[in-house]
Amino acid sequence: MKNNLRERKISIHTIAFSYTFLILFTLVTLFPIIWMSYSSFKSMGEIMLHPIGLPKDFTLDNYKKCIEYGNMDYAFLNSIIYSAISTLLIVLLSLQAGFALTKFPYKSRKVYGALFTTGLLITVNSVITPLFIMETNTGLYNTYLGVILPYVAFGLPMAVLIASSYIRGIPNALIEAAIIDGATYQQIFWKIILIVSTPVIATISVLSFLGSWNEFLMVFTLTSGDDMRSLPVTINSFAGRLNQDYGLQFAALVIGTIPMFIFYLIAHNALIQGFGEGALKE
Amino acid sequence: MITDRNKKLSYLSLLLPAFLIYITIIIFPVIVSFGLSFTDWRHFRLKGFVGIQNYIEIFQDPIFQIALKNNIKIMLLSVFGQIPLGIILAYLLFRKWVRGSQFFEMMIFLPITISSIVVALLWNRVFSPVGIYTAFIRTVTDNPDYVVKIFESEQHAIVPVLFVLLWQHTSLYMIIFIANLQRIPKSVFEAATIDGASESMIIRKIVLPALTGVIYTCSVLAIAGSLKSFDLVFAMTGGGPVHYTYVMALYLYQQTFTFNNYGYGSAVSIIIVILSVGLITLFQRFFEKVSKKYN
Repeated sequence: MKNNLRERKISIHTIAFSYTFLILFTLVTLFPIIWMSYSSFKSMGEIMLHPIGLPKDFTLDNYKKCIEYGNMDYAFLNSIIYSAISTLLIVLLSLQAGFALTKFPYKSRKVYGALFTTGLLITVNSVITPLFIMETNTGLYNTYLGVILPYVAFGLPMAVLIASSYIRGIPNALIEAAIIDGATYQQIFWKIILIVSTPVIATISVLSFLGSWNEFLMVFTLTSGDDMRSLPVTINSFAGRLNQDYGLQFAALVIGTIPMFIFYLIAHNALIQGFGEGALKE
Repeated sequence: MITDRNKKLSYLSLLLPAFLIYITIIIFPVIVSFGLSFTDWRHFRLKGFVGIQNYIEIFQDPIFQIALKNNIKIMLLSVFGQIPLGIILAYLLFRKWVRGSQFFEMMIFLPITISSIVVALLWNRVFSPVGIYTAFIRTVTDNPDYVVKIFESEQHAIVPVLFVLLWQHTSLYMIIFIANLQRIPKSVFEAATIDGASESMIIRKIVLPALTGVIYTCSVLAIAGSLKSFDLVFAMTGGGPVHYTYVMALYLYQQTFTFNNYGYGSAVSIIIVILSVGLITLFQRFFEKVSKKYN
């Protein structure tokens, strides 16, 4: 009955407008991606002659060239290393900090918390010059650690915020009971906080992994060897905008899209929830 | 039993690993940057203290002026383009007037997962002579020789870049607004409908007031984010043609890593930080005034 009442209220114009708007927006969103995908199976000549048509002479040559000359395997492996290790560290460190900032009675926690929040406004490009100088002077330049540490640092402010707001909601009684049973705070962290925080671990992991995977500027400036580059950097140097072999370029772009596309299919619920709720609690 | 000393030690051992990494890599470099910005330091050789000379030169450089203008355009687009469009999309999906709203949500959100580099190169091709945009205009206008000329205009070369930013990031705001719309109790909407409130009434009296806080947070994020645009411009246009699509981050990158002009580059980065904090403070004032007026 209530539903009927609601549906009668909505005019056909509203519904028509909604459909038009959403379908148009979805088409504009998807068409370039679809075009890129099928164009990667076309030869250079075919792209020049029929830029929009579906491939007539289906070819895998573009992909073969990409894999053979593009260093894509190295890049993929590096991307995994950078993203996985920094995600692991961000999760662990942000939960520990979140625990310290919400469940201990010290006044200094406000200062620490405020400093972490400031980090949300500082962007990579405002520290990249001194960071580059620091890394060249300490030997961290062009090392895995030299990329992972900045990834962790830039991932922390948001992660600490998300972790704190979640851990604040864990009942104090749970912690007090454990203390009476003789547990240390480290034990409480590993055996209670970490276990209870599973939902927020998922949110932080997904956001951190995606952020690290797609990051460009830091790997680009803080590494120099081809064997240290991540996928976005390798794609840019192998198939950048000055590359005139369109088919090859499309294949490289598809290779760059597939890993996160699969990740999105698996984790879209956590991602949508993470971006929507985790990131912006009022 | 845990002593006070042990408790304090536990507190520090939990907090400090995160805090030290964060301070060393983010806060310390900002302070160093500030110091460096008053020096002339090129090619790893410190030539001495130059006061505010770097800052004066930056603001006199026509390329920086173009970059600053482009960053302002990006900021205006983020706040007045992406956020309203995000609200419209979120509201249409939230009211479930269409079938398959889940499908729409998932498809519209997809570009968020794609690296900006891939997005940039893809759209560079879309506007190229073999791109779908070119082909579309050729068919519509029946002019087989059409090529995209907008990049030749000093004023409008940034427009395609703005469009791509809209294409990639609007859905982020959509997702945030959907999550916040879902927090409004369903009964509020039902009551309003039964009372015969029109759709525009519901939007003005229920939806927008409920979203005020999150619109504010999104705007702050959008302002901070608009000053850091680098990847997209770098890979899509490289700042060209000439310098028409330069942004501040690209200018900074070029000064530091192409010309090895560290003092000057640091000054640019300090300008970006000050602009970011300043604009957000201004916006905060403005927002407080507006919300006072309407309450």
